[in-house]
Amino acid sequence: MSGLTPYAAAFASAAGRVVRRPGELAVRLLFYVVILIVFTALWPAAAATAGGSIAGYSAQALLWYVTVAEASVIATKPRLIEDIGNDIGSGAVATEMLRPVSVFGLRLAAETGEALVRLAMALAMGCAFMLLVKGAPPRPAAMLFVIPSAVLAVAANLAAQHTFAGAAFWLNDAKAAWFLYLKFVFLLGGMLMPLQLFPVWLERVSWALPFWTMAYAPARFASGHVDLWLLAGQAAWMVVLASVAGAVFAAGERRLEVAGG
Amino acid sequence: MREPRPSRTLLATSRTALVEAWANRRSFWVQVGAMLLNDSVWVIFWVLFFHRIGRIHGWGTDDVLLMFAILATVTGISMGLLANARRLGWLVAEGQLDAVLTLPVDPLAYLLIRKVDTALLGDLAFGPLLFVFAAHPTPERALLYLTGSLCGSAVFVSFVVMLGSLTMVVGGRGEQGDLGFQALLILASYPLDVFGGLTKLVMFSVIPAAFITGVPVHLVDRFSPATLGALLGAAAVSVVLARMAFRAGLRRYRSGALWTRA
Repeated sequence: MSGLTPYAAAFASAAGRVVRRPGELAVRLLFYVVILIVFTALWPAAAATAGGSIAGYSAQALLWYVTVAEASVIATKPRLIEDIGNDIGSGAVATEMLRPVSVFGLRLAAETGEALVRLAMALAMGCAFMLLVKGAPPRPAAMLFVIPSAVLAVAANLAAQHTFAGAAFWLNDAKAAWFLYLKFVFLLGGMLMPLQLFPVWLERVSWALPFWTMAYAPARFASGHVDLWLLAGQAAWMVVLASVAGAVFAAGERRLEVAGG
Repeated sequence: MREPRPSRTLLATSRTALVEAWANRRSFWVQVGAMLLNDSVWVIFWVLFFHRIGRIHGWGTDDVLLMFAILATVTGISMGLLANARRLGWLVAEGQLDAVLTLPVDPLAYLLIRKVDTALLGDLAFGPLLFVFAAHPTPERALLYLTGSLCGSAVFVSFVVMLGSLTMVVGGRGEQGDLGFQALLILASYPLDVFGGLTKLVMFSVIPAAFITGVPVHLVDRFSPATLGALLGAAAVSVVLARMAFRAGLRRYRSGALWTRA
């Protein structure tokens, strides 16, 4: 991989690693299909009970919504926060600090490489499943916006996970934090259901936090709603989250250098 | 010197596993607390869902909270107290079965009770709490809830043991166990009557999620001897099949040539 910057090399190498481990990828994708089977039973039943649509979402729109929301979230490792925390707590991160590159930047590049391969496979499988089982999305042209939005969703999610995990520089581990973080993404991020289905106060809270950028935004496009400002909002949050994560890692590394691991 | 009875050995092993989990108090409470929060999020989801939608196919908020109380109790028992059930395929692949096979105890029983998953003990606390606060407890309902949870746990553990035992025959690192576990958990997390046709048939046979939560909820809410018989029968058949699968796997098992602590 000569000629690539260290970050591009880490990205490419990590993406290749996912492709070379088809067993792990297959398990994750089959797990995703099981979730879709559940949702193809739940949401049409819910929409039928509610008179055909819920908060402006038809059954078809809800199914495409959850297909893309799930794909965007399962693209990242569920226990990434714990893994980073363990590397920090055990001192393994100290060896990474010897390299003449940013620890956070290199980690983010590698995780993005892995996640984007998983995202592509999950979107391909989810869309194929939905097309076969339930038919086309409510507004096929809107699917063009799903891809950039899902990529931004994954990037924002990874940056936020690094921010959370960076707390381990001070707490020594990030055990169980991943549990809590994932639930924020599941509920406040709109992975389980669109934000419009929440009570008004909870919807407002969800909009004020960054989690909607990680599941709701791409899923909203898939449900046939072309709200282009969502892309701008995702990009803005991604910059903020990446900056905060970078700052947390820089402060944490300084602390290790001064106080020792 | 008289040798200890196998049952006493297993009891001592179980006690050791619990003491290990309790040894790091801070970690114990953090993990249990995180699981309680995690379970609370699911409860919030279902409350929001039914608040918005109303009843679906006869299921409302009360039924789903009862379902969730049973599911949390089942996962607390089967994945918290018997944590190795889910890791059986991995243990086989890592060669960790070798050390267990030399012990003068039932290897499957020993493996199951050897490790406790601290986080999932949070489920074991959450399930009964949710039942008490949200599922209209009466002595009769409590007895049925306990029966349903124990039968559901037997089905859950047996299913993942069967899948883990496959590793002894087909090799791999127990990926089929992980997938089966996730599939069972997901299907058991939603109201049974939402599903129809082929999916429901699968839930009563290949992936027996119906016996984890759906049938136990019916048992508590609408008791009938037939439902109780079906649930007890499913639990007994599952346990027998799991033991047969494990023994059949052991006959095909070839050592990983690794000597480790089980």
